[in-house]
Amino acid sequence: MLLTRKASEQAVPQSRLARGLSGVLAKTMDRRAFLRRSGITLGAGAAAAQLPFSMIGEAQAQAKGAGKMEVKRTVCTHCSVGCAIDAVVENGVWIRQEPVFDSPLNLGAHCAKGASVREHGITHDSHRLKTPMKLEGGKWVKVSWDQAYTDIANKLTSIRKESGPDALMIIGSSKHNNEQSYLLCKWARLWGTNNTDHQARICHSTTVAGIANTWGYGAMTNSYNDEQNSKCLLFFGSNAAEAHPVSMLHTLHAKENGAKVIVADPRYTRTAAKADKFVRVRSGSDVAFLFGLLYHVFKNGWEDKKYIHDRVYGMDKVKAEVMAKYTPAEVEAITGVGEKEMYETAKMLSDNRPGFIIWAMGQTQHTNGNAIVRASAILMLALGNVGRPGGGANIYRGHDNVQGATDIGPNPDSLPGYYGIAPGSFAHWARVWNIDLDWLKKQYASDAMMTKPGITVSRWYDAIVEKNENIDQDHNLRAVLFWGHAPNSQSRGLDMLEAMKKLELMVVIDPYPSATAAMMAMAKKEGCYLLPAATQFECAGSVTASNRSIQWREKVIEPLFESRNDHMIMYQLAQKLGFADQLVGKRGDKHNIKLVKGKGGMDEPSMEDTLREVNAGTWTIGYTGQTPERLKAHMRNMHVFDVKSLRAKGGKDAETGYDLTGDYFGLPWPCFGTAAIKHPGSPNLYDTSRHVMDGGGNFRANFGVEKDGENLLAEDGSHSKGAEITTGYPEFDHVLLKKLGWWDELTEAERAEAEGKNWKTDLSGGIQRVAMKHGCHPFGNAKARAVVWNFPDGIPLHREPLYSPKPELVAKWPTHADQKVRWRLPVLFKSVQDKSIADKDYEKFPLILTSGRLVEYEGGGEETRSNPWLAELMQDNFVELNPKTAADRGVRHGEYVWVSTPSGAKIKVKALVTERVGADHVFIPFHFSGWWQGQDMLGYYPEGAAPIVRGEAVNTATTYGYDIVTMMQETKTTLCQVAKA
Amino acid sequence: MRRVALGAAVIAALFAVGCGEQAQVTVYKQGKYQGKPDTQAWNNASPAAELRGSAWNKGDRGSWETAINQRALGQNEDIRIYKQ
Amino acid sequence: MARMKFLCDAERCIECNGCVTACKNENEVPWGVNRRRVVTINDGVVGAEKSISVACMHCSDAPCMAVCPVDCFYKTEDGVVLHDKDLCIGCGYCFYACPFGAPQFPQAGAFGLRGKMDKCTFCAGGPEADRTEAEFKKYGRNRLAEGKLPACAEMCSTKALLGGDGDVIADIYRERVLRRGKGSEVWGWGTAYGPGKAGAQPPAGGKS
Repeated sequence: MLLTRKASEQAVPQSRLARGLSGVLAKTMDRRAFLRRSGITLGAGAAAAQLPFSMIGEAQAQAKGAGKMEVKRTVCTHCSVGCAIDAVVENGVWIRQEPVFDSPLNLGAHCAKGASVREHGITHDSHRLKTPMKLEGGKWVKVSWDQAYTDIANKLTSIRKESGPDALMIIGSSKHNNEQSYLLCKWARLWGTNNTDHQARICHSTTVAGIANTWGYGAMTNSYNDEQNSKCLLFFGSNAAEAHPVSMLHTLHAKENGAKVIVADPRYTRTAAKADKFVRVRSGSDVAFLFGLLYHVFKNGWEDKKYIHDRVYGMDKVKAEVMAKYTPAEVEAITGVGEKEMYETAKMLSDNRPGFIIWAMGQTQHTNGNAIVRASAILMLALGNVGRPGGGANIYRGHDNVQGATDIGPNPDSLPGYYGIAPGSFAHWARVWNIDLDWLKKQYASDAMMTKPGITVSRWYDAIVEKNENIDQDHNLRAVLFWGHAPNSQSRGLDMLEAMKKLELMVVIDPYPSATAAMMAMAKKEGCYLLPAATQFECAGSVTASNRSIQWREKVIEPLFESRNDHMIMYQLAQKLGFADQLVGKRGDKHNIKLVKGKGGMDEPSMEDTLREVNAGTWTIGYTGQTPERLKAHMRNMHVFDVKSLRAKGGKDAETGYDLTGDYFGLPWPCFGTAAIKHPGSPNLYDTSRHVMDGGGNFRANFGVEKDGENLLAEDGSHSKGAEITTGYPEFDHVLLKKLGWWDELTEAERAEAEGKNWKTDLSGGIQRVAMKHGCHPFGNAKARAVVWNFPDGIPLHREPLYSPKPELVAKWPTHADQKVRWRLPVLFKSVQDKSIADKDYEKFPLILTSGRLVEYEGGGEETRSNPWLAELMQDNFVELNPKTAADRGVRHGEYVWVSTPSGAKIKVKALVTERVGADHVFIPFHFSGWWQGQDMLGYYPEGAAPIVRGEAVNTATTYGYDIVTMMQETKTTLCQVAKA
Repeated sequence: MRRVALGAAVIAALFAVGCGEQAQVTVYKQGKYQGKPDTQAWNNASPAAELRGSAWNKGDRGSWETAINQRALGQNEDIRIYKQ
Repeated sequence: MARMKFLCDAERCIECNGCVTACKNENEVPWGVNRRRVVTINDGVVGAEKSISVACMHCSDAPCMAVCPVDCFYKTEDGVVLHDKDLCIGCGYCFYACPFGAPQFPQAGAFGLRGKMDKCTFCAGGPEADRTEAEFKKYGRNRLAEGKLPACAEMCSTKALLGGDGDVIADIYRERVLRRGKGSEVWGWGTAYGPGKAGAQPPAGGKS
């Protein structure tokens, strides 16, 4: 839109001048300017601590003259884009931070968080947790590590003896690096429970389940970079400008080259401000919107018929349902979007191919999130967009390593590499881990418990208070390790606090106390320990970005204060609990993971050796080729990688002589086979235009060879380039290899190992090597499924959110039936929705409450709100109110209001009056914590370790609602009322 | 008289924000910078490689400008995308 | 060589505040002092929202320099406007004069006395010995003396904020405008050079 100067408008925006002239509120004051003014008193406190009078700068402790200076290359820890950073360290102090222009992922760019990571190394006035602490008589007292370990180990051991290993839940972290997440997954299993989870549950669990069940892997199909090769980008459920700012570099570059950008969202987000087309959609109506687009695609014959015939199963069934149910009138009633706009959007998608659909929490955090993401996948399949450069499902993961933690970390229903918790998988991993399988079985309460998916982090507190006969394990949860996770990212804060009152032991392991510590101090007088963990800048390790590229971080500084690295803590706790040897694979004369000297000369597992163990066992998703050596060579030579294709055109690593030619940056998984066969990684999944040894692929054969007489394998002629089998084929195992006559191409050693195995369990990698030598994909060549028959809704179905503003739609599109047990707990659907309607919540709470992200903060927010450079930018939690909503309630911009929800909670936030939201929606960011229903919780934090900025957590007030497949919480859509405070 | 008062005011202000500064006698010349001299950027030696800056010949303005303009190309993603 | 300048591409700025925190980080600017801010016009208005990052524009004929009663401002040969804090009396006159709000005053003391004026230095430090602790404490980092450009421009998330030799960044911006066909109206090029198609020739003798 051209910005021309109008007579009535000011040439210079009001907000800056208004700041100097007190009391004048500009009509278009932007959110940051308005909020910054309120922080003067706050700032004075911070300023007084920091500054010498009237000068700026608290210079780093720098040695006089030249100290020993080094550069450590690391990766930002705040989101999944994976921006590289060169950290300049002098005498062990982190003094400077420089952009890495060479990085093909971010080209030197950073957002507010990435540009401020050096603050993690500043010890002056740090808000970090500095020493272990214990809650005693309601106060936080300092304890020694040894004392803390002894207390915790004793308590855990006695709980285990009385109630079994499942009485403990280990809530792990998407901010652990790959090696740490992998070790934590192992740690939980060595303890003997599947009750372990991490942020992916509340982030993209529905995506992984839905997409993996559609075509094979549940990850981003292409990359942020590949958007440059695209013609159309549909952002539906993503606010990339605030959640993945640097990805917008690729998006906007693509837009300037002619790509169309469409943003569909309940709010006019900052991403929408850059869109060619903005469509306002009611929160929670996602399936109807997507199928409404598909309606026009089918009606006008815009679908890619050959593609569907060759590579998709079940599209005809989907078409029948779409044409019958999602007519323009019906879609308008559900989503609020008229026929003309739907038609134009569908036309823009169809006219501009290849194209992406891009989503994040907007689609995932719903009771039918698994269906919504599948509807997105089906839309892309119908247009023939999946499995080619420039097109597909670009799934924007959240945390820096949520992808890696999902792949190989602590999940309740899988072992590393998505091997399900079945006897065969345990056998496989026991081999890799070099532990005795029988010993492992005995660690579990029983064989049944060993193969039962554990409790999810979205419902951990329910497992404490739920009636014992309703829980699918012997005892309720009695102890929780909150390891690198925040509490205010889970919904139903009121219920969480009540559960905390009954919890016997809470151990928080985090660089910051986090709101967990404050909530526990509010709930109880003892029974909580805080262990200071170090950040990812204080250790080395690998991290997997959203595009599946793996980068290696170098250690920047030693752990600060009394903190210790997470893997050291894992090892030390394991020593106390009796499975330290198993953790590092020490048995007989084999010792998988050597111990190296960490902080203070104490032992910790070697990160490189851990990655090597991952390489040895993770055949399913191809984490086998990314050895530490190859990854480090990539990090040293970022400049040789092309930005649009991520491929190295040439180059040899000066340090090791490794030839980088042909590698894709970060060897994005799957990087099949051992490092010896030098698979280059797969930048775009399912891309049939490339040979499999060139990064190409096809859809995975994971669902059988036929269904109801229909062929599930790919049709004749549909295969990746150069495949010797030109039809569809199933997954590879020793039987298939023998049938094809390729068995003899295995070496003798490979044959010995591969006998009786398949491509996932053959530790020699021979089956994969030979299959790929013939151009075939180890995981077979099949069709994507538009109908996922093993899910409650085989064809995605629109279902109203549990708390819906429209009773007539609830009657027509009700939610699921209540479930007696899923993931060990009962889950309610219909009874909650019916009660909401019966209680007339839609009248008492007439506004749709949605929550989301801000660019200044990340996740639960305690880490970023403790960084003064970020905290200054956003000092109060707020609720976005449309001018009509505000006027109807007599609320002025900047005033405090109470937001109340059917959960019974009410939170106090500032009103931000803006046209960003429609008159029927309100928005509250979720990064705040530290206030509880109007009260500042400062007194409950350990001294000196509270975040600078505290505010209400929107999740204190969010309501019940879980996805039926994964227990993802429904935080994107609930109801609320707003009233002046 | 006014000049002395102004000078005194300046000195007084300087004392008030003291910080151990040496008092300076300021002779007020309208429109001319009255402060300490500053070094031009190119009259420094190139920094250590670890600081990730550029390299130029100390004292040679042209070589510094060339280095700076080369550095500015990092802000043009077209170079990294199309030409590197 | 032309003067050092900033140019913020409003078509690209997503208000991520990367420039703001890069500056805070690099210069260790204290709370309350905002050398660089992002300003958003028409916040939340469909189709009209635009953001621009603003700091000192290092004007060729700087009003701050013109009005300073103690003449503490000077301009380097590259056009960077700097000042001597030892001379600054904190009167705030430069704050009145500047159309962009560049002068900042750290709050100090119980009565909010104005301290020395602080502002964006184009990461060129100030009149202390280059790249020393003394210069860093008073003025922040001197990146120009390290052969680098301002941290804000180098770290911008979408390469919206450009900073460096005016000719070089104008070229970068011009190529972008030509490629996408719009964007330069924000900076008044249409007003200055007349409405017309992107790519129209400038008046004879005029710089593009």
